Amino acid sequence: MKGFKPSAPFLLLLPAMIVLAAVVVVPLLLSLYSSFTPFRLTRPETFYVFIGIRNYLSILSNTDFWWAFGRTVLLLTIALNLEMLLGLGLAMLVEKATRGQRILRTLMMFPMMFSPILVGFQFKFMFNDNIGLVNNALQSLGITQDAIPWLIEGHLAFIAISIAEIWSSTAIFAILILAGLLAMPKEPIEAARVDGCTPWQTFRYVTWPFVMPFAYIAMTIRSLDVARAYDIVKIMTDGGPAGRTELLWTLVARTAYSDGRMGMANAMAYFSILLSIAFTVYFFNKLAAARTQIGAEW
Amino acid sequence: MATVTLTKLTKRYGNIGIVHGIDLDIADREFIALVGPSGCGKSTTLRMIAGLEEISAGSIEIGGRIVNDLPPRSRNISMVFQSYALYPHMTVRENLGFSLKIAGAAKEDMVRRVAEASAILGLDMLLDRRPSQLSGGQRQRVAMGRAIVRDPDVFLFDEPLSNLDAKLRTQMRTEIKKLHAKVQSTVIYVTHDQVEAMTLADRIVIMRDGHIEQVGTPDEVFRRPATRFVAGFIGSPPMNLHEATIDDGQMVFASGEKLPLPAQFKANVTTGDKVVFGLRPDDIYPTGHGISSGGAADVHQIELPITVTEPLGNETLVFVEFNGTDWVSRMLNPRPLRPGERVAMSLDMSQAHLFATETGKTLRS
Repeated sequence: MKGFKPSAPFLLLLPAMIVLAAVVVVPLLLSLYSSFTPFRLTRPETFYVFIGIRNYLSILSNTDFWWAFGRTVLLLTIALNLEMLLGLGLAMLVEKATRGQRILRTLMMFPMMFSPILVGFQFKFMFNDNIGLVNNALQSLGITQDAIPWLIEGHLAFIAISIAEIWSSTAIFAILILAGLLAMPKEPIEAARVDGCTPWQTFRYVTWPFVMPFAYIAMTIRSLDVARAYDIVKIMTDGGPAGRTELLWTLVARTAYSDGRMGMANAMAYFSILLSIAFTVYFFNKLAAARTQIGAEW
Repeated sequence: MATVTLTKLTKRYGNIGIVHGIDLDIADREFIALVGPSGCGKSTTLRMIAGLEEISAGSIEIGGRIVNDLPPRSRNISMVFQSYALYPHMTVRENLGFSLKIAGAAKEDMVRRVAEASAILGLDMLLDRRPSQLSGGQRQRVAMGRAIVRDPDVFLFDEPLSNLDAKLRTQMRTEIKKLHAKVQSTVIYVTHDQVEAMTLADRIVIMRDGHIEQVGTPDEVFRRPATRFVAGFIGSPPMNLHEATIDDGQMVFASGEKLPLPAQFKANVTTGDKVVFGLRPDDIYPTGHGISSGGAADVHQIELPITVTEPLGNETLVFVEFNGTDWVSRMLNPRPLRPGERVAMSLDMSQAHLFATETGKTLRS
């Protein structure tokens, strides 16, 4: 070590680098490495068998994986779109409130304050075919006499999960869009009214372009959220019935912990992250475009 | 092109009255300025005409049609806002053409009218920029362009120049005047700046606390203010106003100083009346250094001590002490004066104003 004199900045950064390496870089590299092995939790020696990209190749031909992948994208599309519509509606209603707006805003955030696990349990109870609130209400109102198998039939289960997801997170859209509406100067809206716009045209041509960046921020946050959806599904259906509500991360978790195929699970996880990155890049581009368009100064 | 008639126009928020039943007839192609201090109801009145504010009582007619319950888009008006209110996500061209697009105008028609407006306002070089890339004056021109593109019955201006710096304001003022000469339509212009009102308007409406104090041409409101408020509001520097009591053809001020009663008011006051005496800075001047207006028939000479002078080059504002306060006088062809010096002042009493203290109304018959 004679003659090795590390520079001061290097020395000062060293503790941070060591911590980062220990908690982020090394685990990340290990998991990446294990995705190139047939590593099984039950057979530790398999960790040292290098099989190249065989795991990735088998993912490509794994129909269960692609179903889960497709289902996740579908859930993302449905949840994000409905959340945005509902959030926009909520935000516009709350913005109109002249008094009690603060209380309404707080109330609106309530669903976000609950742990997703609890939301899962609550909706599992509500959608229970025998004792659930939903069937009870439908029957009492005379809409149906049957016990609708909400969590047992594949499509219905997917709908139930979407509803739980939307219920718990619409507030993110509502809050961010409301922030946009409140930040928006009022004069362009009045100018539009004088310029001959109907209320719908005012919204379409003036209000919406202005709140769009805020909606994209919410989209970015929520797309990451939904792409890693796990807890609500785990509790409500655990991917069932017969894998009909299996999403990417429930599949990854099952592969890793139930089947013990850690190497394969890691390969799936790395593949899934691509999805999240793709959505983030997409929405950030949209956001940047929308910001330039309204000449935002933030 | 249209007349605008306000009848008993009233605005209340709950129990608080903002505009108290004003009546106003605006002729076709007239340039009307609504002027007054903040909170006098002028902007609210304009917004009621625009339809952006509901009216509590009374009626508004535009071109003979009652528009009380029509939404802004059905009134065929256009409005220029204080903050310009451009659409930030549209280019200048799109901003100008937006109302035409909404109205479903034909493409060629739209292109032609945008080009016309852009030519009038000199916006040709800026058509593809967005509002955030424009300076304040340019934004203001776009806002005006957006208004004229529609060829509306009535133009409404809501303090359009108050966000501009002083130099640009003067320049834009001239442009607005030229614009009105070109497009020849009815204009209602709200401002708190009496200079803008005086320079632009055919008639000025002076408002205060939701009431109209006086309606008149710039000359009328300047020369014959109907109330003490108008007298103090119009003119810069403002008119000197002092309370006095009439005593046998003389005005006695609080300090005991006396001035003769102006001849034109002699018939209208009697001993014991409380009055407010007003004289514009132009009508008090160091003897030999003023505008000898009105033939200078009724000039009163008085010697007063100087407190401060403010030289402005071609003229100097001289503050002299009278009745315990400063009186502003305008000295033309200035000569050096020192504070404390007593100088002979000429008071042109033929130009004096007298108001009843209690009602604030003029005592001119």
